[in-house]
Amino acid sequence: MTPTEIIPLLLVVLLLLAGSGAEPDTMDVVFEGNHTLGTDTSAGTGAVSTGSTGGDGALVVGGGTVTVPANASVSSPVFVVGGDLRIEGQVDDLRVLAGNVTVTDGATVTGQLEVIGGRASVADGATVGSRSDLAGELQGASPTRSPAGFLFQVGTLALVAGLLARRNPALLDNVGDSVVNHAAVSGVVGAIAGLSLLVLFVYMAFTLLLLPLSAVGLLAEFGIVVYSYVVFGYLVGRRLPVERVDVASAAGAGLFVVALELLGRIPLLGALGQALLVAVGFGAVLITYFGLREFEPAEIPG
Amino acid sequence: MRFVDHVRAGEWHTVLGYLLFVALMTAGYYYNVTFVQLGLIDLGTRLVGMSDTAVSAWMATLALSTFVVAVAAGVTMDRQDWSTDLRTKLRLLLGVLVVQFVLTAAAPHIRTVSAFGAWILVASVALGIGFPVSFSLAIDFIPVPDRGPVAAAITAATYFLANAVPIEWSIGAFSQLMVLAMAPGLVVLGVVAFDLLAPVEDLVDDLADQYEQFGTGRFCYGVPVKTRSLAFFAPVLLMFGVFFIDSLGFLRIIETPALILTSWQSPEFSTRLAIGVVHVVGALMAGVLYVNFDRNGLFLWVFALFGFTYVLYTSDLRAAALFPALGRDAPSIVNPLFYALTVSFYTTLNFALWPDLSTAETIGTHSAIGVGMAGWLATFVSTAVALYLDHADVGLLTHLNLVNALALLFFFALVVGIYLRRMLAVAREGEGVTEGDAESREGEVTG
Repeated sequence: MTPTEIIPLLLVVLLLLAGSGAEPDTMDVVFEGNHTLGTDTSAGTGAVSTGSTGGDGALVVGGGTVTVPANASVSSPVFVVGGDLRIEGQVDDLRVLAGNVTVTDGATVTGQLEVIGGRASVADGATVGSRSDLAGELQGASPTRSPAGFLFQVGTLALVAGLLARRNPALLDNVGDSVVNHAAVSGVVGAIAGLSLLVLFVYMAFTLLLLPLSAVGLLAEFGIVVYSYVVFGYLVGRRLPVERVDVASAAGAGLFVVALELLGRIPLLGALGQALLVAVGFGAVLITYFGLREFEPAEIPG
Repeated sequence: MRFVDHVRAGEWHTVLGYLLFVALMTAGYYYNVTFVQLGLIDLGTRLVGMSDTAVSAWMATLALSTFVVAVAAGVTMDRQDWSTDLRTKLRLLLGVLVVQFVLTAAAPHIRTVSAFGAWILVASVALGIGFPVSFSLAIDFIPVPDRGPVAAAITAATYFLANAVPIEWSIGAFSQLMVLAMAPGLVVLGVVAFDLLAPVEDLVDDLADQYEQFGTGRFCYGVPVKTRSLAFFAPVLLMFGVFFIDSLGFLRIIETPALILTSWQSPEFSTRLAIGVVHVVGALMAGVLYVNFDRNGLFLWVFALFGFTYVLYTSDLRAAALFPALGRDAPSIVNPLFYALTVSFYTTLNFALWPDLSTAETIGTHSAIGVGMAGWLATFVSTAVALYLDHADVGLLTHLNLVNALALLFFFALVVGIYLRRMLAVAREGEGVTEGDAESREGEVTG
């Protein structure tokens, strides 16, 4: 795994740690070699760790092979973003973002085993406090399997679209104008700005000092995407045979989310189409200053 | 795009002008980024047996003498009214192409330092005359509104070919390919330049008058940009910064096998294809931005992207220094992809900017000074700095960190410059309001 590949995963770990109130600067990261970790429970005291990963903060496995032996326990949260983790003893909380985790017969995860990515294999004789498999849920996620969650998304977006269309339709009108009439420049600005800001916030997070700002920035990016969805909903709503602009926008937003979900089901091209829509929407929001003014391209004489 | 309008209207001479310009510029730029920039290093080090430092010094000489010749050629073109005479320009270009054809064919046979030096000097004369002449063809062939997309097409085609078409980075391979490509080009240009066929004569007649319509660049309407003005030298300085940053960084990347063998010289075709595709996407993006925003916006993007690219490169190196296990894997492809995006941005800007900062009367001088100072002089200075850093045993991380700092500095200076310019404009407007009489104010309001 290269630094560029591992850095986003480490960022997620940092954000998770910051969110849980832990100190991110005390975490230990393993990138190579074979390590045996944990406090020897049979002897009562003393760590059996090898290498430099015996700190009090979280443990991040980024490479190599780490083993928690049968007679050992790890009380700090463990994150796996690469490499292999083999648990024969006891671990409190375990989150898997990438890499491989094996929980053997007789091993215990007292808290939560959360699988966000990568692979986790739990033996029948192992004990796990609670387990959630986001990777599996995402793979199986669809409106038909989780209608309540999907309806909640549709409903929320429709509500926001309806409210915004009622209070200030001019904002949506300006952004919508850029989506329709200046799609190319919107898409270009959206793609570059979205990508660059993402990189910026990732690198901000690694200063630790700017971690909160990074989180706010990522949230703001997400907010812009949601705003652009509202605009798409408004545009769809204008084509519906509904007179009231707020109702039409709400209905349009709902239809847009459903269409986006259906688009995602087309292999490869669907994802490309979704990315294109997000880029155009993101850029349109930016070049119109969130809809505060209409975008006017530079005048070229001749 | 006006191009579509011309096709619809059946104005085939204008359409052919577009195609001729794109073909000429793509061929010229491809020759420059492959044969001149990469082939000569191989020739000097492998066949002539010079040290890397000696070859770099000769490359710097090539850059400096090309700049001097270009300025002399550009000024002469404008003073002699050759800039508005299409046939003269085509004949000059044919002469340049003939010289380059001979030089290209002869290059793999050079074995002595003196022959290498003589080759460099003759090549600098050909290049120095060639680029103001070729850039000035924009006023004959390309309508002002289409200069951004056309610049994007040239950049996209050049870099896609340079990356996706597998060719060994050796003088022999480059020479063989170039000679094969230049031969038919010579014939076509000869026919066009000397009206050897009757239909071609009519075509050139039609194209020769187009400068009256296309000659005034985008930024010269109303008040033409003067050569000795801030409006001209500010973009020259910014472009100098762009080329300097690119060259200083790339010179070091190219000397680092771990970085270059996993990207531009990767044995994996998919890697090189990915870089080529990103170049195309970047060029098209820059073309869209160029026609929609003021040029300052594009400069901002270029410096910001360079800053990002080097942040990525230096972060990788720092992470690898802290955690050696990470450094053992192949470097990420993300970094060269960002680099490719940035290079496409500024190359597109470079192709469109100089004709747009010129009129038919100043295109020779402006393109010579613009491309000469920004491109060739920046390369000369950056090569000299790179040699100094090399002698001072400056490490890879420190070198790229310096380049990164420069990119961020230019970005910051540009932001401050734009802000101050607007502030001055606001202040002047304020003065106008306080000093102006009530009548004029009333006129403004009602007018």
